[in-house]
Amino acid sequence: MRLLADIVLMPLIAFITGLFLVLMYRRVRAKIERRVGPPFFQPVYDIVKLFAKKTQISHGVMHDLSIVLLLGGYITAEIFLPVPGFKGLAEEGDLLTLIYIMMVPMLGLALGVGSCANPNGSIGISRALTAMLAYDVPLAVAIIGATMTYGTTNLVEIVRIQQEGGMATWGIATMPLLAIGGYLAVHGMFGKEPFEIYIAPAEIATGPMVEMSGKYMGALFIMQCFQLYTIGVLYVTLFLGGGENWPLFLIKVAAVVFISVAVTNVYGRYRTDKVVRWMWKWPTGIALLGLALVMAK
Amino acid sequence: MTDKPLKSHVRPPQDTMPGGAGQGCPAPDAQTRSIWRRIMDDFADHCRARSLFVLHYCTGCGAIELPPTITSRFDMERVGITPMVTPRQADILLITGYLSLKTLKRVILSYEQMQGPKYVLGFGSCTINGGMYWNSYATMKRLDQYIPTDLFIAGCMPRPEAVQQVLLKLIEDIDAGRANAWQDYYRNYDFYLGNQQRLFGAGWNTPTDVIGEARHYGYYGPGTEGEHTRLLAEGGGSAARLAHAEYPSTALTGRIKS
Amino acid sequence: MSELDFLFAFAAVLIAGVMCCGRDGRAGWAAMAVYGAMLVAVMAAAGKVAGGSIPSALGFSVLGHKIGWRMDGLGWFFSMLTAGAAFFASWYAAGEWGRAQPGMKTQHLLLALNVAAMLLLVNAGDLLSLFIGWELVSWAAFAMMAQKGGPAQPAAMRYMIYALAGAMAVLAGIMIVHAVTGSFAYKDFAAAFGAMSSGMKWLLAGLFAAGFGVKMALMPFHLWQAAAYSETPGASSAFLNAVSARMGLFALILVLVKVMGLSALAGLHVPLIGLSAKGLLMWIAAFTMVIPTFIALMQTDARMLLTWHGIGQGGYMLLGVLVGTGLGTAGGLLHVFNYATYQMALFLAVTAVIHRTGTSDLDRLGGLITRMPWTYVTLLMGIIGLAGLPPMNGFVSKWMIYRSLLDSGSAFLLIFAFVGTLGTILSVYKLIHNIFLGRLRPQHEGVREAPWSMVAPMLALGGIGFVTGWFPGLALNLTDIAQAAMGAPELPHGLGGVATARGSLNMIWVVSILLVAIGFGAIVFYFLGNRRYEVNQLNNYAGGHFLSPQVPYQFSHEFYPGLARVIGPWYRGSIVRAEQGIGTLLDVSGDLWRGIYHLAWTPLYLLAATVIALGWAIMGGM
Repeated sequence: MRLLADIVLMPLIAFITGLFLVLMYRRVRAKIERRVGPPFFQPVYDIVKLFAKKTQISHGVMHDLSIVLLLGGYITAEIFLPVPGFKGLAEEGDLLTLIYIMMVPMLGLALGVGSCANPNGSIGISRALTAMLAYDVPLAVAIIGATMTYGTTNLVEIVRIQQEGGMATWGIATMPLLAIGGYLAVHGMFGKEPFEIYIAPAEIATGPMVEMSGKYMGALFIMQCFQLYTIGVLYVTLFLGGGENWPLFLIKVAAVVFISVAVTNVYGRYRTDKVVRWMWKWPTGIALLGLALVMAK
Repeated sequence: MTDKPLKSHVRPPQDTMPGGAGQGCPAPDAQTRSIWRRIMDDFADHCRARSLFVLHYCTGCGAIELPPTITSRFDMERVGITPMVTPRQADILLITGYLSLKTLKRVILSYEQMQGPKYVLGFGSCTINGGMYWNSYATMKRLDQYIPTDLFIAGCMPRPEAVQQVLLKLIEDIDAGRANAWQDYYRNYDFYLGNQQRLFGAGWNTPTDVIGEARHYGYYGPGTEGEHTRLLAEGGGSAARLAHAEYPSTALTGRIKS
Repeated sequence: MSELDFLFAFAAVLIAGVMCCGRDGRAGWAAMAVYGAMLVAVMAAAGKVAGGSIPSALGFSVLGHKIGWRMDGLGWFFSMLTAGAAFFASWYAAGEWGRAQPGMKTQHLLLALNVAAMLLLVNAGDLLSLFIGWELVSWAAFAMMAQKGGPAQPAAMRYMIYALAGAMAVLAGIMIVHAVTGSFAYKDFAAAFGAMSSGMKWLLAGLFAAGFGVKMALMPFHLWQAAAYSETPGASSAFLNAVSARMGLFALILVLVKVMGLSALAGLHVPLIGLSAKGLLMWIAAFTMVIPTFIALMQTDARMLLTWHGIGQGGYMLLGVLVGTGLGTAGGLLHVFNYATYQMALFLAVTAVIHRTGTSDLDRLGGLITRMPWTYVTLLMGIIGLAGLPPMNGFVSKWMIYRSLLDSGSAFLLIFAFVGTLGTILSVYKLIHNIFLGRLRPQHEGVREAPWSMVAPMLALGGIGFVTGWFPGLALNLTDIAQAAMGAPELPHGLGGVATARGSLNMIWVVSILLVAIGFGAIVFYFLGNRRYEVNQLNNYAGGHFLSPQVPYQFSHEFYPGLARVIGPWYRGSIVRAEQGIGTLLDVSGDLWRGIYHLAWTPLYLLAATVIALGWAIMGGM
C-alpha cells in the first residue's frame, strides 16, 4: 500500500513541483528582461492546450512510443529518487542506477526524434548527446567523489549521513570543489545558455522538438518539469544535505534551479566543440582536483 | 496578377468575409454536446486562449513592429503569447505584409503543417487587399482567398498597439469558442485549393494530405472535395505524384494524397 | 564416457558430418541440432562441475608428461558460451541466409572446427594442452576470417602475424615454466610461482599477458581485430565477436588470475610509478575500454563499429575480473555472458540489414524501421545492452563492475569506465539512427523484413538479454560456478541482483517499475488528446521548402561533428600513426627476411656455415 502511494505520489509531486520550477524559470527570465512575465497558471495552460490540440501529427509507431518511453523513464527516475517523507524504491536501486535510468528517457526521445525523419531533429540529438558526453564527465567525477566521501551509493544513506551531521557534513562543505564542478555540469544538464546547443532555435529550429506538435510537444513540456525537478533534487541530495522537510527541501531545489536561470540570460550560445572543450577543461578540472583531495583524505 | 475570384469561385459571402472568421463556420452541434463535453471544451478553450504560440512569417515588411510587441515594452508573454519556431509547434500564423507568389506557396505549406486549432492573422493592408502592391504582377491580394484568416490588422504599418489589440480580440474569440476559421479549410478545401490552383497552376500540390485529415478528424464537409481536388486525384500534383512514383506502397509514407 | 567426452564426440561427429554432406540444404538445421545437443550436454554437466571437475578420456603422453583435458567451472562457463553462440549462429545460417551464401559448406565446417578448437582450449587440463588448444583456435579463427577472400584476407593475415607472435610468447612462457618446475600441470606452476624471483615473475606475467592479450585485443595489440572480424561473413562474424575474442580473456583469467593469483600480481611493483602488475593491467584494461570505444564512434561501417565496441567491452570484463572481489569477478564474468548475448544479436541484426540492402555503410542507409521492424527491435535491445542502460542485462554487469571499483577505491578507473559507457551511448545511437531512423531512401522502398529463420534467433538473443536483465540471478547462477573454479570469493546474490551494505541493485524492482511507469506514460499519451494521424515522411518541416524524394533530407554523415572537432585530431594523430608505425615495421622486417631468403648471397651463407661448422668442430674437438 505504502509502495503504491509512493509510485503514484512521487511522480505527481515531482510534476507539480516541476510546474512551479518552470513558472519560476520563466518569471525570473522575464524579470531579468524587465518584463512582467507569464501568469501563474501558464505552464498548465501550455500543457493542456497542447494536449487539447484537435489534430495530432505522428511520424510512425516509434514517434509515439518515444513519448511513452520519455514519460515512463522520468516517472521511474522519480520513484528511485528519495524526497522527504517518501523513500520510494531508493533502497532497491542506488545512485548509479538512478543516473542510468535518467538516460532512458533521453534515449527514448532520441529514437522518436530520429524516426521523424527531420535532419534538424537528428542534428539536435547529435548535439544533445555530444553535450551529454561533455557534461557527464564532470558530473561523473563529482558523483564518484561524493560516493567515495559518503562511502555508499544508497541515496537514502547519503541523505541520512548529511542530515545527522548537520550543515558541516553537507557535500558542499566537505567537498566544495566537487560541488562546484558538479554544479557547472548541472548547469549544462539544464540545457540553458550557453549550453543550449541542441535547442538552438535560430540554427536548427529547436532541434529535437522540430516535428513535435500537439500532445507530443505537451509531453516534452511535461518532461521539462520532470527534468528541472530531477536534476535539482539530485544535486540537493548529493551536496546540499537532502530535504529535512518539504519547505526547506523545495527552497533548496528552487535555489539550485534559480542560480542556473539567473546566470543563463547573460550568455550567448557556445559552439558544440566549445561546449565539449569547456566542460572537459574547467568543471572536470575542478572536480578532478576535488576528487584528488577526497582520495587523499 | 488577377486573383479576383471568378464567378464559380465565389462562395457565399459570410464564409469569405475578411474578419468575419468564425461566423461562417459555427462550432458543430453546439446544442447536441453533453454537459461533460461542454465543460471539457470550455476548459480547453480557456487554456487555448491563454497559451498561444506564434509563428511569425515575416518575409514581407513589418517584422520590425514585432520585437517591441514581444519584448519588454509590451511583453506578450503576460497574456501567454510566445514566439515559436516551426509550424508544428505554433498556434498562430502571423503574416506580415505582402506575399509574393513564391512566399504564398510556403505560407500555405506552413499553414497546412500546423495543428488545429490554428489561427491566421493578416498583418497590414497588403494581406487585406494588396495594399500598395495592388498593381503588382507578383503578389497576391487577399490572403483569406488562400487560407482561412481569422483576423486582419489594418494599417501600413500597424503599430504594436494594434497588433496587441488584435491578439486580445483573438483571445476573446477563442475563449468564446468562436475562432473556428481553421475548420473552414477542411470543410471547404476545394474552394481554397481552387484559388491556389489559379495562381500556381493545375499541378499545384503540397505533401500534406488535407482531405485525409479532414476525414480522419471528422471535418469532412460537402465542400472538402470538388472539381479542384479532382485535379489532385488525376495526378496533377507535383510533390504527391513524385512521391507516388518513388514510393509505390503507402505503408511507409502514410496516406498519400490520391 | 564423461560429459566432456560427449562434447568432444559431438564436435568430432559434426566435423565429419559436415565434411561428408555439408552441401545438403538441411546441413544447417542438422548442425544447429548438434550444437543444441552440445548446449544441453553442457548444461547437464553444471551440477557435476560445480563441485569438482570432469575428466576426459582424451589425452596422450609426451616426454613422460601426461597431457589431458578436463572441464572445471571456468571451462564449463566458456564451453556453455561457445555452444550457445554456435547454436544461434547456425540457427541463423540454417535458413535463407545460408542458402544465399556462396560456399556455405566451408562456413559450416569452419564453424564446427572453431567450436571444436575452442572446446579443446577452454577444457585444457594443463599448460601444454592449453597451448595446443590455443594454436588450434588461432588457426581455426584465421581460416574463418580468410575464407571470404577479398578485403578480409589482408586483415586475416595481419591477425595471423599478431597471433603467431602471441603464441610464441605463450610458448616461451610455457617453456620457462617447464624449465623451472619440470611439469606442465597448473598446480605445479601455481606452487612454484610464489617462490620465483620478481624478475622471473615479471617475465612470465608479461609473456602470458602479451600472448593472450593479443587474442582479446588488449590495448597495444588491438589493431588487428576490427578489420579482421568485420569482414567475415555474418553468422561467423557474430560467433567470432561474441565468444572467439573472449578466448584471450579466458586464458588470461586462467593463467594470471587462477594460477598466478591476483595477490601475487599485486605484489609485483613497477619501479618509479607506484603501480603493481595488477594495477598496470587494470590501467591497460581501462584504456582498452575508452580508446577503442571512441574509435568505434568514428566508424562509418556498422560492422566495424560493433567490432571496435567488442574490443572496448573486453576491457570492462578484464577490469571486473582484476578487481578480484566477489562483486567484481562476478561482474566481469557476467559481462562476458551478457556481451555474448547482445553483441551476437547486434551482429545478426546488422547482417540481416546487409542481407536485405546489400550494405552496412552507415552513410547509405536510413529509415528502415518501417521496413524491418523486428530487426529494429533486436538492434534496439542490443544497443541498450551494449550501452549498459536498464532494463537490459548489460546494465547489471556494468553496475557490478562500477560498484566493485567504488568498493576498491579505484575512483580514476571508474571515471574511465563511465567515459567508456558515455562514448558507447553516442556510438550506438548513431548506429541505430543511421540504419533505421531518419528518412528511407528511395532505393530501399521495396526492402522487406528478414525471414523468420533469421529474425527468430535474433529476437531470442534479445529476449535472453531482457530476461537476464530483469532476473540477473539466472545468469549469476552460471557465473557462480566459474567463480568457484577460479577460487574467487563468492558473491551472495538473489534472483533480482545484489544487495550490499553500500548500495544495492534489485533489477526485478527496477525493471518492473520501469514497465509500470511506461504504462503510466502510455495512459497519459494514448488516452489524453485527440487521435493521431500518421503522415508521410515528405510532410516534414523544412522551413517552408517542398520536400521530394529526389532531395536528400537526412543527417547521417559525420554524425558528431562537434565532438569530432575535439577528439578527431587525437584520433587521427595517435591511433592511425601507431597503426602505420606497426605496419611499416612489419613491412621493413618482412622485406629484411625476404631479402635474406630470396637474395642469393651464397658466399655469405657458405662463409657462415663454414664458421659454424668450424666452431662446432673445434668446440667438439675440445
